[in-house]
Amino acid sequence: MENIYQMSGYTLHLIPTKKFKTITISLRLQSPLLKETTTIRTLLTFVLIAATKKYPSTKQLAAYLDENYGASLSTHVSTKGKSQIININTSFVNDKFLPTKENLLEKQLQLLNDLFYDPYIIQDAFDEVIVQLKKKELKEKLQANKDDKFSYSLDKLFEYMGRDQVLGIPSTGYENEIQDITASQLYQYLLKCIREDVKHVYVVGDFQENIVEIFQENLQFPQNQQNYLSSYTFESPRAEVLEVIEKQDITQSKLNLGYTIDCDFTSKNHYAFTVFNALFGGFSQSRLFQVVREQNSLCYYISSSYDAFNGVMLVNAGIEAQDYQKTLNLIEQQLSDLKNGHIQDEEIAIAKMMLKNALKKTNDEASSMIALAYNRDITGIHETNEEYIEKLMNVTLEEIVQVAQNVKLDTIYFLTGKEFHENY
Amino acid sequence: MKIIKYPNLQETLYFEEMENGLKVYLLPKEGFSKTYGLFTTRFGSVDTTFVPLHEQEMIKVPDGIAHFLEHKMFEMEDGDASTKFARLGANTNAFTSSSRTAYLFSATSHEKECIELLLDFVQDIYLTDENIEKEKGIINQEIGMYDDDPDWRCYFGSIQNLYQKHPVKIDIAGTVETVSQIDKSTLEKCYHTFYHPSNMMLFVVGNIDSQEIMPFIRENQNAKTFEKANAIERMKVEEPLAIDKKEDVLYMDVTMPKMIVSLKINDIPINPQERLKRELSMNLLLDIFFAKSSSLYEEWMKEELINDSFSAQFTQERDYSFLQIGGDSLYPEKLKNKIQDFISHFAEYDFNEKDFLRLKKKTMGILISVFNSPESIANIFSRYYFEGIMIFDLIDCLNELTIEDLEQLRPLFDIQYASSFMILPQK
Repeated sequence: MENIYQMSGYTLHLIPTKKFKTITISLRLQSPLLKETTTIRTLLTFVLIAATKKYPSTKQLAAYLDENYGASLSTHVSTKGKSQIININTSFVNDKFLPTKENLLEKQLQLLNDLFYDPYIIQDAFDEVIVQLKKKELKEKLQANKDDKFSYSLDKLFEYMGRDQVLGIPSTGYENEIQDITASQLYQYLLKCIREDVKHVYVVGDFQENIVEIFQENLQFPQNQQNYLSSYTFESPRAEVLEVIEKQDITQSKLNLGYTIDCDFTSKNHYAFTVFNALFGGFSQSRLFQVVREQNSLCYYISSSYDAFNGVMLVNAGIEAQDYQKTLNLIEQQLSDLKNGHIQDEEIAIAKMMLKNALKKTNDEASSMIALAYNRDITGIHETNEEYIEKLMNVTLEEIVQVAQNVKLDTIYFLTGKEFHENY
Repeated sequence: MKIIKYPNLQETLYFEEMENGLKVYLLPKEGFSKTYGLFTTRFGSVDTTFVPLHEQEMIKVPDGIAHFLEHKMFEMEDGDASTKFARLGANTNAFTSSSRTAYLFSATSHEKECIELLLDFVQDIYLTDENIEKEKGIINQEIGMYDDDPDWRCYFGSIQNLYQKHPVKIDIAGTVETVSQIDKSTLEKCYHTFYHPSNMMLFVVGNIDSQEIMPFIRENQNAKTFEKANAIERMKVEEPLAIDKKEDVLYMDVTMPKMIVSLKINDIPINPQERLKRELSMNLLLDIFFAKSSSLYEEWMKEELINDSFSAQFTQERDYSFLQIGGDSLYPEKLKNKIQDFISHFAEYDFNEKDFLRLKKKTMGILISVFNSPESIANIFSRYYFEGIMIFDLIDCLNELTIEDLEQLRPLFDIQYASSFMILPQK
């Protein structure tokens, strides 16, 4: 049901559906994730939607969006393995639910175009006042993220586990580099993105048939033949497990574990690993939640997640400092249980059901429809949701045991209270 | 079964009140894979003093008991409700707010079985002393997680400052201390009092056929027996007009300060339509002054007092109502003064028709977008339902608002009812 068009400098993916009251457009720009550019790229996403020449302040741009029935305009950066993605999203009410015809699609598309081709530029640089404000905003956002102990400890795990590798590069940049970026460097970087980033545009909603022409008229980029790597399998330089313990003045300790798995999104055993993760810790029916929380009352949250684009698996839990070793042992025991094939058929059936349910649900949300399509488009995998589900359903016990045996604990990052001592 | 059509939104709602008093609403959504069911009781963390079913005397139950009961409801005599949902390929969850407890499932197949299971697990209770003790460890970890969350501490601290007696100042999960006092017989009393069908509402939205589902629910309900309901008597809170604390500061292991100015609103409309009008007009007024398109937002941004996290929110539930304005700030003291100054001199701040109309359009767009998602429809429907409001009336009410309705809110901005709460980095 997805229609694909090769446009000038980008691929247009149309996902027509009548079930939403809004139309969603997502523009995705892909470039390699590099230490040198992660900060400027992040800062660009802040500056890009702050103003355009026509609406040269955040206030005026916001007022314009209000007028368009609260049309949204947002950006964020994310990583897909070795790539860093700028996501620019807008969603707005479908004209058919409004009292008068507003042509919101054309208007929003024109606005997207202006972000790139008519930004608020003075002498080949973004407006200095806006850049200063956005630098401050980004810095404060990074600080606030650090104060959220869950995301802080997760970032730290990546930092230690992925030191000197792409896994260790933060998708939102380095705080100490923000200040030195100039308004003209930022504009030069935008021009580079226009020239070199690989671009995909997704549209979800009930739109008219002439939509391809509307895009042709309103949005064009220079032709570009780049092809960037995304999904890869993380390889660790370590033979021994790296254990890092940090103390802060906090009540609940955060346990974060990173595993190497010898598998990623493009691997043959990706499907088996997805089922393995669902068994191990992906859902509240999984082993970790059932054993660590329900049977041992050690935590409120615990889960494992499969980062398919970096080819690693993570486990996070919030526990008491004194339960550190006990929790580690329980997690390890569950893992070795799965490695040894101690798995009931019903468990597998439930894990598959949960995955199927989660995947079918993505059809009901524009953003998740786009996210799934994009994962496939940047890895060149041709597969429908139904085919994907089918492959997951066909995974066997033997395949699960096989992928489990490749799972190896690599890094422990434990953020704990001041009272923590070695005997815990 | 009553059928209510909303042509502007292209939605049709089905309603029936069961013989036992349970209200059921169904909203079929064509084209959706997902079905979402939300079963809500009017029992929240503020309901701590009441007369139990078939008793005469008020009792005071430990803080956090509504939330504790929510955790324990999933246990059934023959296993765990979550596992049963999982066998049907569905997810389940629950949440407790200050005024409600809600149980939900989300499924893409076996819709009937899921609805049945949702009704059955919530309409029966199975507790053992051992299981209750076990849950305490889990809940204490949940409390610990919130204790370390500076956003939550600031949000909640700013509410606590406003109230001297009202239980809205009690943390939803209670404290480690109050949780330790919870026992089987008190949980059962709460359950029998508040989980009576007449105090509850079921909302199902998504891939369903109302002609099939409504009779199915009716049959399920008719097969069960409940004690005769009587009106639930809750202790009326005698909250003084004055706030509890003018200001408070909490030092945490953080780098970014946070600050919220809260404003207690004592004059709360009784009539549901008036309440809705109050809510929509207050939100518009806050948008006019504090949204990204406002002059103050721009000014304070330039003065480096605020960032993207800044917001102005209005809350109105049952018998309490307040404003919260603030966010992360490097200069929390300065921001506090600015906001309090705004409240003190609100009479001098004008707004015009143009701003009003623009933000009305924005609100309209946001209200329409709610109907994109089964989850948000169910959650918002339920929240308004227990306030006596149908969400489908929101758009009409918004259309009827005039700038004079906003002018009438001016007396509520009274600085003697304002307070501030700050999170500051430890030295």
